[in-house]
Amino acid sequence: MLTYAANRAIQFALSLIVASVVVFALMSLLPGNAAQVALGTNATPEAVAALEVQYGLDRPPVVRYFDWVVGMLGGDFGTSYVTGAAITPVIIDSVQVTAILVISAIALSILIAVPLGTFAALEQRSWIGVTISAASQVGIAVPNFLAAIILVIVFSLTLGWFPSQGWMAPIEGVGGFLLRLVLPVVSLALVQAAILTRYVRSAVLDVMREDFIRTARAKGLTRTKALFVHGLRNAAIPVITVAGVQLATLLVGAVIIEQIFVLPGIGSELVRAVANRDLIAVQGIVMVLVLLVLIINLIVDILVPVVDPRIRNAA
Amino acid sequence: MSEMPTGANSPRDDVALDVSAATASAPEPATGRRRSRLRLNSSMIIGACLVVLILGLALVSFVWTPYGPSEIDPVARLRAGSPAHPFGTDRFGRDTLTWVMYGARITLMVGVVAVGIALLIGTPIGIVSAIFAKQPWGMWIDAVIMRANDILLAFPALLLAIIFAAVYSPGTGPAMVAVGIAAIPGFARVARSGTLQVLGSEYVRAARASNRRIPAIAVVHVLPNIAGMVIVQASVAFAISVLAEAGLSFLGLGTQAPVPSWGRMLQESQQFLSTHPELALWPGLFIALAVLGFNLLGDGLRDRFDPKMDARGA
Amino acid sequence: MKTPRIMTWVAGAAAVSLLLTACSAGASDSGEDAKKDSMTIAFTAEPVNLDFTSTSGVAIPEALMENVYESLVRLDGEGEIQPALAKDWSLSDDRTTYTFELQEGVKFSNGADLTSEDVKYSYERVQKDWKNALKSKMDIVKSIETPDDDTVNIELKKPSNTWLFNLTSLVGAVFDTEGTKDLANEAIGTGPFEIEKFTRGQSIDFAARDDYWGDKPALNSVQFKYFKDAVSASNALKSGEIDLVSNLQAPELADEYQSDDYQIVSGTTNGEVVLSMNNAKGIFKDKKAREAVMHAIDRKAVLDTAWAGYGELIGSMVPPTDPYYEDLTGVWKYDPKKAKELVDEAGIKGEEFSFTVPNLPYAKAISEIVSAQLEEVGLKAKVTTQEFPAVWLDKTFTEHDFDMSVINHAEPRDILTVFSKDYYIGYDDAKIKKIAEKADTGTEEEYISGMKEIAKTITDDAASDFLFLFPNLVIAKADIEGVPANRVSDAFKIADLSWK
Repeated sequence: MLTYAANRAIQFALSLIVASVVVFALMSLLPGNAAQVALGTNATPEAVAALEVQYGLDRPPVVRYFDWVVGMLGGDFGTSYVTGAAITPVIIDSVQVTAILVISAIALSILIAVPLGTFAALEQRSWIGVTISAASQVGIAVPNFLAAIILVIVFSLTLGWFPSQGWMAPIEGVGGFLLRLVLPVVSLALVQAAILTRYVRSAVLDVMREDFIRTARAKGLTRTKALFVHGLRNAAIPVITVAGVQLATLLVGAVIIEQIFVLPGIGSELVRAVANRDLIAVQGIVMVLVLLVLIINLIVDILVPVVDPRIRNAA
Repeated sequence: MSEMPTGANSPRDDVALDVSAATASAPEPATGRRRSRLRLNSSMIIGACLVVLILGLALVSFVWTPYGPSEIDPVARLRAGSPAHPFGTDRFGRDTLTWVMYGARITLMVGVVAVGIALLIGTPIGIVSAIFAKQPWGMWIDAVIMRANDILLAFPALLLAIIFAAVYSPGTGPAMVAVGIAAIPGFARVARSGTLQVLGSEYVRAARASNRRIPAIAVVHVLPNIAGMVIVQASVAFAISVLAEAGLSFLGLGTQAPVPSWGRMLQESQQFLSTHPELALWPGLFIALAVLGFNLLGDGLRDRFDPKMDARGA
Repeated sequence: MKTPRIMTWVAGAAAVSLLLTACSAGASDSGEDAKKDSMTIAFTAEPVNLDFTSTSGVAIPEALMENVYESLVRLDGEGEIQPALAKDWSLSDDRTTYTFELQEGVKFSNGADLTSEDVKYSYERVQKDWKNALKSKMDIVKSIETPDDDTVNIELKKPSNTWLFNLTSLVGAVFDTEGTKDLANEAIGTGPFEIEKFTRGQSIDFAARDDYWGDKPALNSVQFKYFKDAVSASNALKSGEIDLVSNLQAPELADEYQSDDYQIVSGTTNGEVVLSMNNAKGIFKDKKAREAVMHAIDRKAVLDTAWAGYGELIGSMVPPTDPYYEDLTGVWKYDPKKAKELVDEAGIKGEEFSFTVPNLPYAKAISEIVSAQLEEVGLKAKVTTQEFPAVWLDKTFTEHDFDMSVINHAEPRDILTVFSKDYYIGYDDAKIKKIAEKADTGTEEEYISGMKEIAKTITDDAASDFLFLFPNLVIAKADIEGVPANRVSDAFKIADLSWK
């Protein structure tokens, strides 16, 4: 188990290095000169050249790459060309916003999906089970931004229960913070819950077919009891994996929801930085997103064997 | 995109296959025993019907649409549905039905190109990786390929699409390629697990014992046996790409004016939501129908192709 | 990066702990119950920093001019020049030297007194340190002298009718000699408000100053809140989270506010929405081709469909608030038949040309109807959407790689800039150059008649199609007073606003 974890950690570090090279190379392909954009219309070529020197864009790429990586290792993502401000605090703030949004959404979707999916599996041939299955299939097909638009119209504009947009840091008022979080989190969670429900249902169905459940039932336990006593741990494995994948994709995937609800998340920062050709900010944000996805994958990889004795022994 | 109705992207290969197989409306053992390979299931029928509907819309649009896509009529703008315009008209007086039909083209094109990229690159990578994994001297190659796959996983479709939009300016092309590249790991995984299974089977061992070369084995035994799972993966990836195109166009990073696209229609309908909600209804409905269609089709196909289920049913 | 913290979360921390650990995330929204001396105002163009001396674009001056920074003179709602930091001024007989007398008791928000030194410092800095291209408006200044603390003499290289007007824009902003160290993050001015908090990408909080030299504004605290798009801004107004939407970028939404609870104010701006054609090369080098476009476009239909009818048809590069405005909408009539003939004459039927469209709401909407109208007369536009500002500025504006484009030229009195030879349109300005020179150095009357002639010449040359004047469309709660109808300057002046 320890060797396995160590192996994964080395892989993680290697992945990170490769990813940083890829990100840096991609950024150098960006058209539109950062200096030109900052100076705007009518800037003279001399002024642009002078600003390029100021930004350090005239140095060779290799030097810039190592400069960047060394800075990041010290927690410094550099200074934005466009805003003139340090990028690190922007990233820290916006990552927290997105993390709150996405983790709450995943948590809510697990709360919805686990009971629904289990129920749908246990009652798979009753009309309720079928309805849950069908509803989850439809739920997957609805884009989350469409769900968001509908939620805003109903719960904000018509009923007036929740604000239509905005963000309030918890420190400025927990009530306002929670109130503003409801619609974006629900928009994300509904679709994720639909996906997760289907995985939970199949996982439970799979477990029910396992020998140890059959044995337990042969010993006189009811299906439900057998499942709860022996099966849930096994059914949890695919659910953990899928929740991890959802978490990773939502980090960027939440950007549409962030835009609709005007939330200062990392996806919105990325879109803004790209629009402003804020090269160094784009680089930093992409790198942080990649890092987070790799971390989530790492955690899932370590968590799954912990939960699942079969894989643990194999590994 | 955010809605990933597949577990194929999960970080562990073996778990990944389990999970992606689990999306199937897993049958009870009892019914499974009665299942024959030719029997159609309801998901497949409904899914196929929806896919045929979308495909039909797109194909018909090449020969006939009620109006031209850029045929404007400032007088008859923002009309509700009527015999002349069954789905109504938009702010320029363009016919919404015509736009829905043209939008189906872009949706399908994005799906075909994105899935094509992922399938044509991902599947061979997976097969090759699995073959190397079975060679005592090739395991490290397999490891390198799969780690590269993991790194690619760290770039979700949307992230790639945003970067590509910045590098090559936003458009359908960069969006398709981004979605396609992001889907490569899924195909590689499925192909690799499938291939490993096939290579471990009795008849392949027999074939190798009789000194058949590995490429020949790959073509004769592996391809036909993993085709089913790859098709399932393609169907699911298609559904994802439909959502991705809609989302990207909604953000302004996908299909650009003047090309009709459902995501763009939805985005532009936003300012008419309270006054003319039908402008959002139609593109929203068709996006959902297309995703539903491909997902159901994928599920239905999985019921037929899943090797695990075959074993169980036999 | 707070990796350990995030790992804790992923490991399954409850939602509650999130609330506690992430207290610093993001920033504030408007207060729950707005008191009657505060207001929240929505904008869609966000300032990336607070320094308009080095960053171009409308967003920064919109927020800062007349609220935080003031100039010697300002424009009123009718477009007339009024005193600001200069309570009076005079012009020498040879019309080259202005003598400004400064207001007394003016303090900067850092406590420093305004002196003539500050004015000299600020205006000399424009040429020396500014990076914003608009700094060329100060090129004409020869020397600045400060005989005493309250007097500034500014000598121009030659007489100019436009210089004093230009001084009302951001180049006239007066900074404290000690207040330009960190312009991107800190704005120190003489205006009625100071910036309490700037949350990049989200909002600016303004607080009224107690030591302001002029009339104290009615509002004490004001928040400018920046939205991604007009729909979310409008939603926020409907659900009561904001009080006013400045310049609504989705005019179709205005219809929803036809009620007693709201007021819809639609006035003019300095923004001419121009369907620009490349005069210097390509298909529209031929005047016949440009004339065909002029006849092919139904500007009324463009305005009605693309911008819900808000805005004004102008027919030239001059807004009605300028002194030399003349109604030239009749010069080019919508006449598709004539357009078809011209297309045939020019031999460009079906020839594809590039129509580069910045990804701005109005431009995208216009491109759809314009390309449809052009198609009807046999002109085939290949539409390419370009990100604004980055790509559009690079490709269309700087490299002149376009045949047709559409953009709102928002700067005041910009006709001579836009139609100079080196500008992206590539207009052959030989004809108008002399007239312009004479107009600027001549008397007021000569100025007006000269500028009129220039506008007429450009329109007659079919240099570009002037689609409409961009409206200043403001939606506000009904009990807000003082919403100015016209936007004649860079600034969104908060001091005008109050609650009933």
